[in-house]
Amino acid sequence: MAGAAAVALSLAALPSAAVMAEEEASSERLGWLFSWLPAWCPTSLLHLKEAEDKMLKCITSTYNKRYVYLANGNKIWTLTFSPDLSRKTPLVLLHGFGGGVGMWALNFEELCENRTVHAFDLLGFGRSSRPHFDTDAREAENQFVESIEEWRKEMGLEKMILLGHNLGGFLAAAYSLKYPSRVKHLILVEPWGFPERPDNAEHERPIPIWIKALGAILSPFNPLAGLRIAGPFGLSLVQRLRPDFKRKYASMFDDNTVTEYIYHCNVQSPSGETAFKNMTIPYGWAKRPMLQRIPQMDQDIPITVVYGARSCIDGNSGSTIQSLRPKSYVKTIAILGAGHYVYADQPEDFNQKVKDICDSVD
Amino acid sequence: MFPLDSAWNISFAGCGFLGVYHIGVASCLQEHAPFLVANARKVYGASAGALTATALVSGACLGEAGASIIRVSKEARKRFLGPLHPSFNLVKIIRHCLIKTVPENGHEVAAGRLGISLTRVSDGENVILSDFHSKEELIQACVCSTFIPVYCGLIPPTLRGVGWGGFSKSVELGTSGMISDSGLSPTVAARTCGQVEAAACGTDAACGFARDWGVVSLGLAGGSGKVNAPVSIRVNVSLSYLSYPSVFFTLQTQRYVDGGISDNLPRYELKNTITVSPFSGESDICPRDSSTNMHELRVTNTSIQFNLRNLYRLSKALFPPEPQVLRDMCKQGYRDALHFLKKNGLLHLQRPSPDRPLLAIEAPPEEKKEEEKEAEDQMEDNTALAVVEDHIFEHLPPKLNQALLEACAERRGLLTGISKTLPIRVATAMMVPYLLPLESAVSFTVRLLEWLPDIPEDIRWMREQITEICNYLVKKAKKKLGSHLSARLYYHLELGGPQSLSISPASPCGEAVPMWMRNNRSLSDVMLKWEEYQRQLVMGLLCINVDMQASLFPWEGFQMKLPPLDCAKECLPLF
Repeated sequence: MAGAAAVALSLAALPSAAVMAEEEASSERLGWLFSWLPAWCPTSLLHLKEAEDKMLKCITSTYNKRYVYLANGNKIWTLTFSPDLSRKTPLVLLHGFGGGVGMWALNFEELCENRTVHAFDLLGFGRSSRPHFDTDAREAENQFVESIEEWRKEMGLEKMILLGHNLGGFLAAAYSLKYPSRVKHLILVEPWGFPERPDNAEHERPIPIWIKALGAILSPFNPLAGLRIAGPFGLSLVQRLRPDFKRKYASMFDDNTVTEYIYHCNVQSPSGETAFKNMTIPYGWAKRPMLQRIPQMDQDIPITVVYGARSCIDGNSGSTIQSLRPKSYVKTIAILGAGHYVYADQPEDFNQKVKDICDSVD
Repeated sequence: MFPLDSAWNISFAGCGFLGVYHIGVASCLQEHAPFLVANARKVYGASAGALTATALVSGACLGEAGASIIRVSKEARKRFLGPLHPSFNLVKIIRHCLIKTVPENGHEVAAGRLGISLTRVSDGENVILSDFHSKEELIQACVCSTFIPVYCGLIPPTLRGVGWGGFSKSVELGTSGMISDSGLSPTVAARTCGQVEAAACGTDAACGFARDWGVVSLGLAGGSGKVNAPVSIRVNVSLSYLSYPSVFFTLQTQRYVDGGISDNLPRYELKNTITVSPFSGESDICPRDSSTNMHELRVTNTSIQFNLRNLYRLSKALFPPEPQVLRDMCKQGYRDALHFLKKNGLLHLQRPSPDRPLLAIEAPPEEKKEEEKEAEDQMEDNTALAVVEDHIFEHLPPKLNQALLEACAERRGLLTGISKTLPIRVATAMMVPYLLPLESAVSFTVRLLEWLPDIPEDIRWMREQITEICNYLVKKAKKKLGSHLSARLYYHLELGGPQSLSISPASPCGEAVPMWMRNNRSLSDVMLKWEEYQRQLVMGLLCINVDMQASLFPWEGFQMKLPPLDCAKECLPLF
């Protein structure tokens, strides 16, 4: 497996693999010696590319994929579906924490039936650049938002329907706060980071010291550090701990394609992950919760909150947003039998709901 | 809104002693939405969830069930090492509790409506059992579902007479006219061997395959047949298999262990299954912890969010916490179920306040207005829930409440007072090394006596297991040897070759189906079997060496092209 990195290097030398050469350029910066050392985690951008290709293998609709270059040298990996249907407002999909464009594999085909769908890897995730983010939560959030805005400029989109899942939902909301004129409809799918951390946790029975100590030991680490520490065992760790992913995508793949994709997405150098960590307070709450800011959002932006009925992220956010924006359109949709990954748990329901929302726009 | 127009199921996750949470959930459902339970197509359960599902479906008293769990946990906590103490026989206790709580006609009420998740020992597959012929069978199924290997004991319990009642001997399948090849799933008509008395099954047989040794173990799921009726089994057998004179099937009483090992949350993938789990995560009814951590792990379908409180719950699942904690869990289950009902608009209104049904039920009239105002704000929902939390507990079914209170109550007496003082506790702790062997000896004797009636069958089972393990090891060894053997070692072994080859020269060694996989019972059979293994081994080596030679000497390469059937014959002239 370690040899694969070397193979990737030699492949990069071929003129045909121009894109790869560029990808490898970043790893060459680490020095020639480093690149020859066997890697602890059997991964590389090439692995990730292969995994993503496997994820998108079954998609029959027309799409193109490319890097979109931003002014500050970063590049954003973008997929565009049905590029010729540009009369209607395009739908832009923002994936969640630890994901990538491939996660929408079950949704692309249906969503792009009568409008253009763009999906891109967020800055610091998937195949996009993995820059250094500011340690300050506000700055990091701003970096994310600016990367989305620059991406939009490069793509030449006037307005868009923004759909974000998890962290993507948080960023979509943050983007809509800053650039309200660009958003025609905001769809928040299981958004992360909306409610504040409640203080009333104390009325519950206190947890034993040893567990608290364990939490304290683990809290300085990145959320997915364990995956990288596990090195060669990481892939089987993902398969062992999250067999549900394989099941969610079982209609498309009967092998471990999804777990491999998720693994390779997350064992690369953590950039977006670190930024996410800096935006959180234990355990998993946002430092700057979106609900505090949502009243400042442009009243004309309609919001739809989609959540899975079984999810741990509470669907209450929807009704709270509604009460905070009394004059605006806010709708909450629960999808039955779905957990946090709504779009993969019940793809038909989800696609139908999103298509309905999009059709209501134009 | 939960769609009540289509069929729905309820599924309880396995969770050890945290099963008391399920009791809270079940009593809430029973009280506030009885139609949800009564009209559910099936109620599933695994492990501890199976106990609650059984109690809920069979109409047992939930208060009694909840109190039993607390009493058992108190019993377990009394001992050094907790539930692992040799004198603590969990299986026996569970069986006693079930006999006490499950009504006499429980199996009739539960038939077809209750689904108990079990793990079959022979192949590790999940089986969901929903037909029960007697109360004992129902109880035995529950015991099997809660049997966590090692923790509860070493020998898995059997489940007798369920559907495939009574037969345990081999069934021979004749080839002559008995196998009709009909497409993908040939129907195999089997006739029983002389010594077999009864064999019966349905057509929905699930087939486990031990491909390598020509033995097919059939687990028959859910079929109900009569004793002494002819067997008719639909088997998916690859056809190359049937070209051998006869195939031997071993049908036996199955042994089952904890359903949580293979499927801890049956039918969770169905959209209309109400999943209940005491671990916060992606279940319909589960505690909502104050954490938005997105990491979760899946333990055989049960989603467990990765947070500290769940870690605590996991640590307490098999080693029970104090009775008060368990009571709180029951309370929480009740509250979470209520929350679920409210969220899905399933709460049956008892007082004229349609918009705030929860508060209407819970809050006393004079406080109502104030609380309603508070509840206007959706954001306050959670705090409102917290406010009325204690009212809810008062609202627990009086029976359950009473039973829990009684179970939690400590007997206050002079004796217990003394036994809690430090010197006495230190003394007991110091006595442990001396008392433990004594207690162990006594409890082992008791267990041995109780085991006596089951000994022959268990011994047979163990022998079969050991044989199987041997088979496996020999097979592995053969493979290893085959791939690593050098040509030199081959010449050494070749001397013995012709002798063994003369016995069965015609059988194609690559895929030889060994005839000796009949269930042998005696030691001599085992010896015979062993000899044949050796023969197989040598033959395997011979064959592999032909290939090796061929690759070593390219001019003999044509040997590789020969069909495998001729391979063994060709070996002889070659050397």
